[in-house]
Amino acid sequence: MSPALGIVAAIAPTATDTATHCPYCAFQCGVRVTEAEGALVVVGDADFPVNRGALCIKGFSAGETLDHPLRLRTPLVRSGSGDLEPATWDEALDRITAGIRASQESFGHDSVGVFGGGSLTNEKAYLLGKFARVALRTRHIDYNGRFCMSSAAGAAIRAFGVDRGLPFPVEDIADADAILLVGSNPAETMPPLMQYFQAQLAKGGSLIVADPRRTLTAKAGSMHLRLTPGTDAALANGLLHLLVKHGAIDLCFLDERTEGFDELRGVIATYWPERTEKITGVPEQQLVRAAQLLGSAQRAMVLTARGSEQQAQGVNNTLAFINLALALGKRGQAFAGFGTITGQGNGQGGREHGQKADQLPGYRSITDPAARAHVAAVWGVAPEDIPGAGVSAYELLDGMGQEGGVHALIIIGSNPVVSAPRAMHVEQRLRGLDLLIVADFFLSETAALADVVLPSAQWSEEEGTMTNLEGRVIRRRAIAEPPVGVRADDEIIHAIAERLGCGAQFEYSSKGELFDELRRATAGGVADYSGITYDKIDAQQGVFWPCPSEDHPGTPRIFAERFATPNGRARFHAVRHQAPAEEPDAEYPLYLTTGRVLTQYQSGTQTRRIERLTRISPEPHAEIHPVAAKRAAIIDGTLVRLVTRRGTATARARLTRDIREDTVFVPFHWGGVASINRLTNPALDPMSRMPEFKVCAVRLEAQSARQGVISV
Amino acid sequence: MKHLESLVVEGPVKQRLVVVGNGMVGARFVEELISRGADDRYDIVMFGDEPHGNYNRIMLSGILAGSQAVEDTFINPLDWYARNDVTLHAGVRVHAIDRDAKLVHGDGHVIEPYDVLVLATGSSPFVPPLKGLSSHGTDMKEGLFAFRTLEDCDRMISYVPKARTAAVIGGGLLGLEAARGLLERGLDVHVVHIRSHLMEMQLDSPAGLLLKATLEGMGVTVHLDKLTSEVLGEHRVEGLAFADGTTLPCDMVVVSAGIRPNVSLAFDAGLLVERGIVVTDELRCPGDPSVFAIGECAQHRGQLYGLVAPLWEQAKALADRLSGRVPDAVYTGSRVSTKLKVMGVDLAVMGDQEPASASDEVVTYSEPTRGIYKKIIVRNGRLGGAILLGDASAAPMLLQAFDRGSELPDNRAELLFQLSAAESATGVADLPSSAQICNCNGVSKGALVTAVEAGHCTLKSLCEATRAGLGCGACKSQVQQVLELAAGDSVREDPSVHFYVPGVPLSKSDLVEAVRERQLKSVSAVFAQLAGGHEDPGSKVGLSSLLRTIWGAEYDDQRDARFINDRVHANVQKDGTFTVVPRIFGGVTTAAELRRIADVAEKYAVPMVKITGGQRIDLVGVRKDELPSMWRELGMPSGHAYTKSFRTCKTCIGSEYCRYGVGDSTTLGIQIERRYQGIETPAKLKLATAGCPRNCSEATTKDVGAVAIDGGKWEIYVGGAAGGHVRKGDILVVVDSHDAVLRYMGRFMQYYREHAKYLERTYDFVPRVGIEKLRSILVDDSEGLCDALDAAIGAAVDAYVDPWQEAVDPVHPSQFADLLEPVGVVSGPASTWERPE
Repeated sequence: MSPALGIVAAIAPTATDTATHCPYCAFQCGVRVTEAEGALVVVGDADFPVNRGALCIKGFSAGETLDHPLRLRTPLVRSGSGDLEPATWDEALDRITAGIRASQESFGHDSVGVFGGGSLTNEKAYLLGKFARVALRTRHIDYNGRFCMSSAAGAAIRAFGVDRGLPFPVEDIADADAILLVGSNPAETMPPLMQYFQAQLAKGGSLIVADPRRTLTAKAGSMHLRLTPGTDAALANGLLHLLVKHGAIDLCFLDERTEGFDELRGVIATYWPERTEKITGVPEQQLVRAAQLLGSAQRAMVLTARGSEQQAQGVNNTLAFINLALALGKRGQAFAGFGTITGQGNGQGGREHGQKADQLPGYRSITDPAARAHVAAVWGVAPEDIPGAGVSAYELLDGMGQEGGVHALIIIGSNPVVSAPRAMHVEQRLRGLDLLIVADFFLSETAALADVVLPSAQWSEEEGTMTNLEGRVIRRRAIAEPPVGVRADDEIIHAIAERLGCGAQFEYSSKGELFDELRRATAGGVADYSGITYDKIDAQQGVFWPCPSEDHPGTPRIFAERFATPNGRARFHAVRHQAPAEEPDAEYPLYLTTGRVLTQYQSGTQTRRIERLTRISPEPHAEIHPVAAKRAAIIDGTLVRLVTRRGTATARARLTRDIREDTVFVPFHWGGVASINRLTNPALDPMSRMPEFKVCAVRLEAQSARQGVISV
Repeated sequence: MKHLESLVVEGPVKQRLVVVGNGMVGARFVEELISRGADDRYDIVMFGDEPHGNYNRIMLSGILAGSQAVEDTFINPLDWYARNDVTLHAGVRVHAIDRDAKLVHGDGHVIEPYDVLVLATGSSPFVPPLKGLSSHGTDMKEGLFAFRTLEDCDRMISYVPKARTAAVIGGGLLGLEAARGLLERGLDVHVVHIRSHLMEMQLDSPAGLLLKATLEGMGVTVHLDKLTSEVLGEHRVEGLAFADGTTLPCDMVVVSAGIRPNVSLAFDAGLLVERGIVVTDELRCPGDPSVFAIGECAQHRGQLYGLVAPLWEQAKALADRLSGRVPDAVYTGSRVSTKLKVMGVDLAVMGDQEPASASDEVVTYSEPTRGIYKKIIVRNGRLGGAILLGDASAAPMLLQAFDRGSELPDNRAELLFQLSAAESATGVADLPSSAQICNCNGVSKGALVTAVEAGHCTLKSLCEATRAGLGCGACKSQVQQVLELAAGDSVREDPSVHFYVPGVPLSKSDLVEAVRERQLKSVSAVFAQLAGGHEDPGSKVGLSSLLRTIWGAEYDDQRDARFINDRVHANVQKDGTFTVVPRIFGGVTTAAELRRIADVAEKYAVPMVKITGGQRIDLVGVRKDELPSMWRELGMPSGHAYTKSFRTCKTCIGSEYCRYGVGDSTTLGIQIERRYQGIETPAKLKLATAGCPRNCSEATTKDVGAVAIDGGKWEIYVGGAAGGHVRKGDILVVVDSHDAVLRYMGRFMQYYREHAKYLERTYDFVPRVGIEKLRSILVDDSEGLCDALDAAIGAAVDAYVDPWQEAVDPVHPSQFADLLEPVGVVSGPASTWERPE
């Protein structure tokens, strides 16, 4: 630990055991923060009903980013010599506004874009959307949640009429008789969630884990379906085929609460077990056993995550699993149903308040005249002045510096050089911008390319609300002032808006006032926050949306009575398996799939700077089956070069029989030559515009140096 | 990605696309077309011979077997066509194509013009030119069927009640599927095949012969190298005659002698037809740019395909092209591979059956007793072909390796046994002591081991001592592993090795307890309540035996849970005939009894009369339908030469006549056999009594034996064997009376009945439990079980009924086929997985 800097002095007076939330994933563990010997000590909050005191190592070490020596404490501006040099806030803001004006004068309003993040609070996500539409008047705003939740969102809206990750509280998991968990590895990515699965197993429930890898989660479950990457819809349809054949579907539920099953029936007839086995690589006996466990369960649950969603068929895959869950029946009741496990800290709230190219606050469509009128009234602008829908995240990045694309971009809370697909291409496009502005707390790989870098406040330095994976709105507390020279994102937005001549619309006397405006903007929308107050959040340990009035308690189980479709029925979708955009061939003979490890988070901007985390995972490893390794002459522990049609990256070989012979797994938290997203495929889902992170074709090449290190 | 809209042809006039054939390929093609938005480009018209929508033909055998509901087989029900604006002429046969006028002529004056014509006419069953196919003007004689359509299935199902014996001509895949369906419906089934082994299209000779043995175990009679020449019977089927002069009486015949592509329409229209309708890589008929052909009728690069996967690839390629999505899409052929079930037996086949050259490497594995055969052909390090029969667990990997043409591992065992899919054993044992197990609290493996050594031997105490697992808890299973490792516990076993039968996840004792507690008296009740409703065929026989042990007379006997031998109370032989072994107590008979046996043997022309190793008389080569009358005429009870039960008690001449005899082994043997005849046991029990230690009756190497020793005492041996496995029995106890011998033997048998695994012979059971433990329980009554064991075996003895009584009172109309008038169909309804209430 470095000697205490200004931050510690600042936190000392208020930091006596404050309840707030961990800065990382969507589980948003309740934590208690105290100050001891000049450092923040973070422990799990046993009173918070979601994590019940549990916390993972990322949470325990979350205090270590605050007074980190590498933390940015002053704006940086690229000088004439091409270097980023310290500057005053005025110099930085002048440079920004001049650049924005120049771009918009030459290329129009839409030439400036905004790229947000799923870690931002609800208030900041809301403000960013408003800033783009009101201050910049651009249609180009999207965020990295597009790389995360968009397929699940697209499917849920089509099937249920609303997108709330889990339509029930996590505690329901413990009481499900059978759970199918698809493409999710919470034992590493969301460890405190595991207590619910462990409780479910202890009660005699069965947990079926579908994943190309035998992950820690798969090992903890009662059954593992080791499917071929990119065959999720076939797996879902094959299981449904067996349920239909054995009369294990809930016909009453189908009749009373759903529509469209008849159209699906014919598709399902084509997924007989032998065919499903051939497509998915899951042995027939396992398919039968899994179907039997699900079909005989009183309360069955299907949960998906990025594994099945981050594909060019992500929406269809998710719809197929929703079909399965609906056919099992009892949806909306306790301990049963379909859910998706959100990834980023505010992945849920981040997609509800206008950071998406096609949405306005309250999960409203930007093309819906009534929604535009409502939001325009809250914002004090004319409805016709709100721009139309922009393009999705990857398309926004791909269009940078191109005709019709943006020439200036403001990035807040995201590191696309590491997290976007086909990252080298994205990096090249970023270099082609006239103006790149990045607000972050460290000099991330993306910030290092910027013309202006703005140092921003961290999790424990500002108030705000977050919405966790259950749709529970919670409060994050300011425990300390930001260090001198650092500003909160909302202050940054206000400062830029002011210089663009619309400061009044971004001026709030308090976070409470900003939240109240957000509430008004969401009133009557799908994600209605209008009845949520800070007091109610405190009193109830969070409030589940929708909450349409102050006397409404919130909605833990949103499908208990009806689904959010116009006629109240959930919709089946007749989806078929379609092959991924790229499949192995002679030149690139293996599948590449990506994911996370326990001790790192997303692009690693925070966690790669925490010593006790990097000690455990200092560099990416490539999980390779010994058979595949032998073919490529790769020895355990050596460096391996991974090559796809889009680039190369380096990782350290880890030979294991826990992965399929035809698949290689590499975590994506690193940059530079260790950035696996240099390799991933930007083929987009036609509905959600989700890139295909989870499947592409790769070739392995042995590198000579066994002792070498990867510079990350 | 391009937007669809930009690809759609603009303009008011759509082209007319006519598809002839509404089977799995024709309809799939139209589906693919519509999914590509091509319904904006074409008005689509379809013709289908059958009067309904498109259904999944692959499921027909399930329908025939009664395990598949018809409505679940429809892929495109009739309303699908209406919903998608497809005009379907269902039940209208196309009889001509006028390529000059571009018209399709269907029956009933249906005429459709086309701009684009797609032929997906499929194929028809090939019916060889046999004598006696038709009768009195009908196409097919009554009782004669093809197996291709839903209607065929319907007709067969409604004919089954009128039939007892069915013959299937053709031992290919479809024929065997038909055989399975008919067997499930209670018929006596014969498969007649012209070749020297079954399924020669898919299997090599060893695999085919192995499959034959497996099928015969299920009760199907297989006739190989048999050329059928005539269907016998005046008005309806009465039998088959073969080229070798033999005949087979039967009252139902299914012809499944292959399929022929339906090409006559194309031929008459002047299109190029060889074996099939010739198409190019564009799937176009050469010489006519507006006509295409796909499916079983199409011949591409000289190849005809019969499996769904390649045909759907054709449908996809043509849809890509005709929709404009991929205007230059071509079909370049498919690698043929499939996974299926033949009568419930797993089978995966791909590529070649035999090596193509000397450089091909052939790897085989064969395990005939379990019906397993695996063969792979490695060509240039890649898979040239494979057959997996009986155990297709390696199929997923092999099929993908074949389809992708990927390189194979050097260790071929990886391919055959799927080592790589085994639950990974790499665990904490392989980790160095410094490895961090709990990341939250930074606890290493070494620290955990130290704590275990310090006495923290429960998970809770270990976690509390080290703080491991108290953060996120994700590492708890690893902490548990370190605990087990350090505490010296053995590696955790797969719990299923303790299951009594594979399909019910309970150990024998738990199963017995659950069966008693829930009063489960039938095999299906056990499956319903203890196995989630899933009926595992491999578990039925074992369960049936156990339930009989538990419930005795109260057991609800479900005959389909029995092996063929136990259904007809006779031992099936290699050629499908049976044996009759009457009970001869203790091997002691009389002249009158011998005379009766001789009379019966003569009357029924029994080909062989054999004295068995167990001192019985075996009438070998008996037809199934003759069994009951022979039993009746013998007037002797069943000798149980066929089942998992007490078989016989062999005796020596004993003290009554023998100079050396010290005990009356013949009387004792008769007493034992009278008391315990037919008692069901986990595996067969062979007994003997010997009148002196010279052991002429080999009592020391029997499952249970009694040997007389000086002083009027008897040694009781258990766990002996002299078969494939030789083991001298262990002395359980020495007693001094016949009554005591009977009592201890019964007690041992009951304990064995209750505690042995299914099919576990005493020579495995006794060493497994240990003779000391057996003595302590059965002799010293250390667990206080003896009274209950004695009572239970007594009840089983009381419940015994001679199964040959079924000659008079059969349990099933077609149990012995020809003897009795059938009264109804036994059909297996689709099983359901009950939800617990």
